Amino acid sequence: MSSVNKEPESHNPYWRSVNELEGTPEFQRYVEREFPYLDEETATGSVNRRQFLQLMSASMALGGLTACRRPVNHIVPYVRPPEDVIPGVPLYYATTMPFGEEAFGLVVESHEGRPTKIEGNPDHPATLGKSSMQVQASILGLYDPNRSPRTLRGGQPAEWKDFAEALTSLTSGLGETGGDGLAVLSEATSSPTVARLKRAIEQKYPKLRWVAYEALGSENAHEGTALATGTSLRPLPHFDKADTILALDADFLMTEENAIRNSYDFANRRDPDMPANKSTMNRLYVAEPAYTVTGGMADHRLRLKASRIAAVAVAVAKALGVNGVTDLEAPAGELDPVWIENAVEDLRRAGSHGLVVAGRRQPAAVHALVAAINHRLGSIGTAVTYVEPLDTIRSDMKALRDLTADMADKKISTLFILGGNPVYNAPADLDFGKALGEVGFTAHLSELYDATSERCLWHISRTNFLESWGDARALDGTLSLVQPLIAPLHADSHSDLTILNLIATGEEATAHDLVRESWAERFDGAVGFETNWKRLLHDGVLKNSSYRPAQVTISADGIRQAVTTLDLTTNEEAIEVVFGPSTALHDGRFANNGWLQEVPDPITKITWDNAAIVSPTTARKLGAMRKLNKLGELKFDMIDISIGGASLALALYIQPGHADNCISLALGYGRPEAEAVLSVGHGVGFNTYLLRTTDAAHIVPSVEVRKSIGTYELAITQDHHSMEGRPLVREAELTAFKENGKLYPEAHYHEPHQLWEPPVDYSKGYQWGMTIDLNRCTGCSACTIACQSENNIPVIGKTQVGKGREMHWIRVDRYYKGPIEDPQGVVMQPVPCQHCENAPCEQVCPVTATTHDHEGLNTMVYNRCIGTRYCSNNCPYKVRRFNFFNYTKDIPETVQMAMNPDVTVRFRGVMEKCTYCTQRINQARITSKVDGREIRAGDVQTACQQACPVNAISFGNINNEKERVTALKRNPRNYQILQEINTRPRTSYLGRMRNSNEHLAPDDSAANGHEGH
Amino acid sequence: MAGLLTVGFIWYYGSPEYTDVGYQPVQPVPFSHKMHVGDLGMDCRYCHNFVDQSHEANVPPTQTCMNCHQLVLPESEQLAPIRQSWQSGKPMEWIRVHKIPDYAYFDHSVHLAAGVGCASCHDRVDQMEVVTLKKSLSMGWCLDCHRDPTPHLRDLTATSVTDMEWQPGENQLAFAKEIMEKKNINPRTDCSACHR
Repeated sequence: MSSVNKEPESHNPYWRSVNELEGTPEFQRYVEREFPYLDEETATGSVNRRQFLQLMSASMALGGLTACRRPVNHIVPYVRPPEDVIPGVPLYYATTMPFGEEAFGLVVESHEGRPTKIEGNPDHPATLGKSSMQVQASILGLYDPNRSPRTLRGGQPAEWKDFAEALTSLTSGLGETGGDGLAVLSEATSSPTVARLKRAIEQKYPKLRWVAYEALGSENAHEGTALATGTSLRPLPHFDKADTILALDADFLMTEENAIRNSYDFANRRDPDMPANKSTMNRLYVAEPAYTVTGGMADHRLRLKASRIAAVAVAVAKALGVNGVTDLEAPAGELDPVWIENAVEDLRRAGSHGLVVAGRRQPAAVHALVAAINHRLGSIGTAVTYVEPLDTIRSDMKALRDLTADMADKKISTLFILGGNPVYNAPADLDFGKALGEVGFTAHLSELYDATSERCLWHISRTNFLESWGDARALDGTLSLVQPLIAPLHADSHSDLTILNLIATGEEATAHDLVRESWAERFDGAVGFETNWKRLLHDGVLKNSSYRPAQVTISADGIRQAVTTLDLTTNEEAIEVVFGPSTALHDGRFANNGWLQEVPDPITKITWDNAAIVSPTTARKLGAMRKLNKLGELKFDMIDISIGGASLALALYIQPGHADNCISLALGYGRPEAEAVLSVGHGVGFNTYLLRTTDAAHIVPSVEVRKSIGTYELAITQDHHSMEGRPLVREAELTAFKENGKLYPEAHYHEPHQLWEPPVDYSKGYQWGMTIDLNRCTGCSACTIACQSENNIPVIGKTQVGKGREMHWIRVDRYYKGPIEDPQGVVMQPVPCQHCENAPCEQVCPVTATTHDHEGLNTMVYNRCIGTRYCSNNCPYKVRRFNFFNYTKDIPETVQMAMNPDVTVRFRGVMEKCTYCTQRINQARITSKVDGREIRAGDVQTACQQACPVNAISFGNINNEKERVTALKRNPRNYQILQEINTRPRTSYLGRMRNSNEHLAPDDSAANGHEGH
Repeated sequence: MAGLLTVGFIWYYGSPEYTDVGYQPVQPVPFSHKMHVGDLGMDCRYCHNFVDQSHEANVPPTQTCMNCHQLVLPESEQLAPIRQSWQSGKPMEWIRVHKIPDYAYFDHSVHLAAGVGCASCHDRVDQMEVVTLKKSLSMGWCLDCHRDPTPHLRDLTATSVTDMEWQPGENQLAFAKEIMEKKNINPRTDCSACHR
């Protein structure tokens, strides 16, 4: 198979893994095996053929007899039908997912009162109808079977009313002392009702200590703006107005705040097809230690230790003439002066459309410099605004440190922990768990009985956001309501609002009443509260409620002072550690979510784990390498990292393009809870919080590292479904492309001989097609999870993923380009079923379980499939997925509630793959027929398309001129992958464009039109 | 010969025509469609009221029964389970008669819009004392109509989908061809039409 139609490899500068680049014999053997994922154990297992037949004939005989009885199937109608519910027709409600200081406006699909699918709310500024993988996966959080069902006291079942009594008697005693010794530890929040109740509590107990803590808070940005402007402000970048962007260790497209909106705006400004008079495609400079999806989108990327980012900020500020920096000496050490010079030149040219952003782990002074640079560029008010958040309780790690110290000193007698899991994710030097033991009365409100719950006297089950009332402000201030979709799954679970009100007033009230109370004064009296309230519930957002931009004046003294706090010295040889969020689990709050555990990290492609990420050079220096064994299992060496007194051994993973002498550690793994309370997340990955301290919570400039004994297995999907070096991703330099219209690497396409009868006529009727714009795709994987949610795709676990059996219908391939040490680019390519008009899979199915329909869909008929897997073998795109086991057999009842009733749940031994969301096509067809019209442009959206925050995916009837996809199919960037084998895929791709600065070394000779070979 | 017999045996006795047709389970309440529809003349959609809006022809909630039976036969012993359900809030558990497999997705609303009457698939329910499965509901049976729907399409301006006594007229073929053109009725026979 490997010799047919294979392009000479020298034509293709792209590669996916170190193994592929090096072409190790193990790798060759692995990809050339007929069934790379066939476990040798099963192939030569203990049951031989004869035994198998004996067993099977016996069970067939028995099975035949039992099948004679007709199963009785019941219909259970309502007793009193709820208003508005038509059985079989879903309803959609607007709600909001609070996420720290952020809030995502959503529209949730509900089947007979059972929420099944989450989408963004088109009217909400943080989502604009789009979503992220966390937003998509949060539906599974609602149905988490490990959710705590009830109130516990000391781990034993207890009554809520006893807790309420204990609370009121305790707090009434505290009233005399003004609340001395009373503390609340919450998550960051932007809920106006929480803010109102906080004010009420503070009035009653003036000495109350209220601390909010997030492991990944926004402290640095706020402190930075306070240094620069004198006021603590929140920067709000507007990527739709930025021509040139410099991102300093800021993954603004994925793991930083407001990523959905940022991606949406960024991609719209990155459209090469924009009319020239309107604007030009933006240019992105990124300086960062580890490859992120933002780095992957960069036109110019500088790999740099995180501790050296500050020096870049100073150099840029100095070059732009920022007051307070100009008279400083240039920062010491090696920095790429040409890179910085050109970035600065571009920023200066962009002026008010130039934008600099810094990531949350960079110190406050860098954020101060960024504010000053933006001010100097004149972009404050255009490409970025600064706002003063209202109703927002921000995370404050220093306050947590002080609180913990007071707890340890027994100065705190009563502590309410509302959400969060500080025993797990507070910096290790605080030893929060121990300090908790010194507090007399502790209560933890939480959805799971987690590590913090275990150490508190009381545990209260918390309602999910899909079960309770609430409200929240988006980062830009827009107000929206949290509207429940379902009554709490566990009757004894409670909202944080109820508890806060209990502290404030001693009385029990429902979250619904409390939210309404907060909103009573917000509406004007003209139309009355109820009308306003209902409109708000319907829309999901309160229009025109965003913040007004703050006036920003930059203090030169502030900047000067800020810079003095920076350590600009350099020790290139010291190995630093940087902490960052997990791309899937964030700070660990999603650890029990199977979808998010199993989604491959966009860059490393690791599933079900985190690892110490280093560059190839650093790995060599540490003497640690990876090994690929004959089954394609990757064994990784372990390293020991010591910081202060703590040390941790974890797997080392090599990432091309990572900064040298730097180790990236993702937070959020290695949750300490037992399997009984964390069945999915238990024992997954390494708990990097153990290495984190308050003083060095983000960047540790120098650590001790040595190779450890033993190896570790990681389940990595990057070598799975390999298409063996063919030119699948194509790109071009924008200016060159406008002249010659060529994408590189060029495909060598010959009109093939037609083996079968002339092609079917697809010129009439609905013909479905898709385009995926590689120039927009960041690789964020929201599509993968949206598809999983829509199409009932099972979670299979680390072992199975390690064998290459992952079930995702749309995978995102990540290609590096260039040398292993410093790849000159990353290209992301989502690959769903290509729906070939000449589908190779259809030709080999012995039972015609996969056939073509008249609308161009390559259909998969589950009830016909007998599981030969010939189709998968013959699929050149490797998009078919096989149910090796009955993955859906044991899923808990609550998780079954998350299933989409419009899609068949597949059984063991059945092949499955992307269907172009055929259920959505059929629904649109039925609606149109009942209404007596044609399906209109835009009527059908696939789940991946709907979720995609950058609008990279277009789908529709390619015979309809009004569809966006039809226009894009004619775009000169449009190409099909493996066109040369004449499969005539319905999914096509739009080539990636680069907008390089001509003065910087071109990223790639091929992309500029000079074939390198 | 033996092989032929075996094939013939399975062909006949294994087909839904033999195994399924005639299924007539005992329901928790002996609801008589004959009396309600045939004798009293109630429209199907008094109870199955969302059939033209949803893929499913909803079985009525207990409340629909109680609309009348609070006043009509309020003491009837046969209706005791209905009253019990009404008082306790515990739903009725009817036994499904017309069942297609989970991997096949049938939509009532679109068939009604095309002019296919209830009786085409459910037969003369107005004459059934106990609801009985009269058609095989097999895939071949579905396809028969999808390949040639002309005998089953009615003129909705002249009659209703719920009219149990409708018979194709003399010019049925001409009418059906005309309405198929007009309403763009082109039933699909692709797998993806019903299987998702």
